[in-house]
Amino acid sequence: MTRSLLGLAFRATVGTLVLVAILGPLTSLLIWSLAERWHWPAPFPQQLGLKYWLRMLQGDPLRALTRGVGIASVTTVLALLMSVPVSYLAARRRLPAGPLVLALFVLPQAFPQLPVFASATVLFYRWNLAGTIPGVVLIHLVGGLVYAVWTLTAAFRAVGPELEEAAVNLGASATRTFFRIALPLALPGVAASAILVFLHSLDEFNGTLLVGAPYVTTLPVYMYTASLGYELQIASVTALILMAPGVVLLLLLERFLRAEYLAFFGHL
Amino acid sequence: MEVRVEGLVKRFGRVPALAGVSHTFPAGALTAVVGPSGCGKTTLLRVLAGFVRPDEGRVWMDGRDVTDLPPQARSCALVFQNYALWPHMTVFENVAFGLRLRRLPTREVEQRVREALALVELDRVPGIEGRRPRELSGGQQQRVALARAIAVRPRLLLLDEPLSNLDAKVRHRVRVEIRALQRRTGITTVYVTHDQEEALSIADVLVVMEGGRVVQWGRPEEVYARPKDPFVAEFLGSTNVLEASVGRDGAIQPSRDGRLLFRAEDVVLLPADATPPAGSVWAKGKVVDCLFLGAVYRAYVRVLDVVVMADARSPASPGPVVLAVPADRVMDFSHQNGEGAAKETA
Amino acid sequence: MSRWERWAWGLATVPAVGVLVAAFGLPLLQSVGASFVREGRFTWENYAIVYRLYRQDVLYTLGVAAGGVALTFGCGIPLAGYLRLRAWPWVEFLLKVPLFVPFVVTGHAMRVFLQPSGTLAAMLTAAGILPPGARLGIGEGWLGLVLALTWKHLALVVLLLVGAFRGVDDSYLEAAQGFGAGTFRQIWAVLVPMSATSVALALVLTLTSMLASFSIPLLMSRGSGPQMLMIDLYYRFGQHGDFEVASALGVVSYVMASGAVYAYLRSVTR
Repeated sequence: MTRSLLGLAFRATVGTLVLVAILGPLTSLLIWSLAERWHWPAPFPQQLGLKYWLRMLQGDPLRALTRGVGIASVTTVLALLMSVPVSYLAARRRLPAGPLVLALFVLPQAFPQLPVFASATVLFYRWNLAGTIPGVVLIHLVGGLVYAVWTLTAAFRAVGPELEEAAVNLGASATRTFFRIALPLALPGVAASAILVFLHSLDEFNGTLLVGAPYVTTLPVYMYTASLGYELQIASVTALILMAPGVVLLLLLERFLRAEYLAFFGHL
Repeated sequence: MEVRVEGLVKRFGRVPALAGVSHTFPAGALTAVVGPSGCGKTTLLRVLAGFVRPDEGRVWMDGRDVTDLPPQARSCALVFQNYALWPHMTVFENVAFGLRLRRLPTREVEQRVREALALVELDRVPGIEGRRPRELSGGQQQRVALARAIAVRPRLLLLDEPLSNLDAKVRHRVRVEIRALQRRTGITTVYVTHDQEEALSIADVLVVMEGGRVVQWGRPEEVYARPKDPFVAEFLGSTNVLEASVGRDGAIQPSRDGRLLFRAEDVVLLPADATPPAGSVWAKGKVVDCLFLGAVYRAYVRVLDVVVMADARSPASPGPVVLAVPADRVMDFSHQNGEGAAKETA
Repeated sequence: MSRWERWAWGLATVPAVGVLVAAFGLPLLQSVGASFVREGRFTWENYAIVYRLYRQDVLYTLGVAAGGVALTFGCGIPLAGYLRLRAWPWVEFLLKVPLFVPFVVTGHAMRVFLQPSGTLAAMLTAAGILPPGARLGIGEGWLGLVLALTWKHLALVVLLLVGAFRGVDDSYLEAAQGFGAGTFRQIWAVLVPMSATSVALALVLTLTSMLASFSIPLLMSRGSGPQMLMIDLYYRFGQHGDFEVASALGVVSYVMASGAVYAYLRSVTR
């Protein structure tokens, strides 16, 4: 009896702590996004309203949002097209110079991004890519390709080689087998991969800040500028818009997303 | 320690794993619980260990109700099917784990680990205390698991299919050792297995389970010789089943509601023209195949459109035979409605 | 595969490899090279500058990351262990939420939450814990940074650890429980050592990520006092236009990340 009471008290305490710790900062965003007037030290805003949300629907923030979605769409399509051959060959262990190429596809995870992207900016200036949308897409592709290659490799590996061998045995060419057997069976993995790359690009900050400056502003960079300029409401609205797709995804797909896919989000 | 369970019911989802089990496990004896997979024997063991809480029913140990006690408060030790030896600990640390939790002085921990290893005859392997589980053979791992369980001097030892991961040879040896160990220590032991031969050979008391119930229990010889129902009869030994009844002269005749069971080792094959010996139940048949099993030959004989097994010391050649079984070895379940022992045919 | 098919497939991998070489491989090599060059000549001068101006910040970065790792694992291991032993779905779900919150958003959210006049201060004042008008001084210093980094990384750590802990068969835990091991001891004596590889991997990843954290400190820290290494690098590069010293700072960060590089390379060659 005392045991279960103690357990209950423990769960209540830990549960409350987790609730406050996780939702506290996110709730602050929500309050700030609605605070039309908030003079310190009042614990709550004097006036709540949608003024700052409505401001998102026009001008700079809207442009940043649409530009970001455009960049993310292009990045997603390119990343998928480019990574499918690599992942398929990697899953079937037929990648020329396999370990070397695969090392290239994990190292961006391991190395600190900022110094590499700073160096990339210098190179991009030389190539006239700095401050352009293609430059930003290129820098988003670094992370995007890494996510795409690993999720797709896992997806292709899950398609048993014996299914393909059966087709080859009946006389289909390897390429035909790929398009008729492996690719259709791996489509769920391709979809997961597309979502990951899209979200990565939408939320990417470090590379965009360095390579995109000063002409290409996406939503994260816009949020940073707003926060730096003490436009806390604008920044909070932007922050909520940025995290919305990811959280919706978590709510909808939690049961279906495999742990290794989720793990990639840790690096967003 | 005498262990008594009464009216145990446990459902996982809608399926009952235990459907009202009542039984008394006698103190100091080795009770083997046997049954096909899914019969509830492992659930019963886990209820005794305290890892599963029954939906209904109680568990008493030496007259004390322990149903609501957690595993650690029950003075029982479980040996797991996969041994569950912690791979990151040495043999010594594995065996000492329970002793250290009891906060025994270091000297005593060492002494009792050594005692336990000696009991399972691992003291002769030099340097075994410092090795890790994966460096041991299957038989040695099994012994370490036993030593870990008995080191804490439990009053109830629970074994969950302890030999199922061993090779046949090692299995037979360890089986003998477990029995000897149990005799020596006198720990009340419950031994769960799906292998009827293992259960028959090791048990003081045999408990046969099916569908979440105990269908029969008793001394192994008794249960084997006088099964209460067709299930037990078929489960133990190599048993033939015929939909037939016995005629006046002992001849087997097809009969829709007749049910005759007899074991392969009780069948005698005679030449086709021989007269069946008096007091036997017999039928004409035809040998269709004969396999050499090592100790015996097993003939497959077609009788009344089914194939029955017959064991003999010499091979049987294909062709017509007379198949005879001593009448007292035939189990007649013709009018069996689930009650009473097999009626012996006169 | 026929020969021309093999060629076609090989060619199809070129764009992806090319992008990574151009936007990651070359820049990486260039930054290593540039860190040894000043006015077209080989020199150690850049590192001397790093030592002179930034050694405090290197220590500060190491300290913040160590504190963040300690706090993340101090919370993460017991939480993951508890979630492995006893189902608690809504807490597990909540702990995953920060995975989907981008680093920049985390930085801003923690800023408005923890800053002296932030939401936490307001909440504590409303609850009567803080006197009205008092400021909470944790948001802008190292403590706020440690809390923010922990908030973001705890999700990944719990995810990885719960996954690893679920891989430990129940029997190992029940064996310990049968001998009287409580929740805490089951976690420390069985789950953690049996998942040592995963714990070590999670540790290396977290440490590297915290050492190289940029957007969270960028949004949270004010100009004064010691800074995280990446902030120094950003200002050295962006405001001073000093690519060489920025590169030397970068190489220092590569060295600090070598544990992660090793772990990732091993995962590929395995």
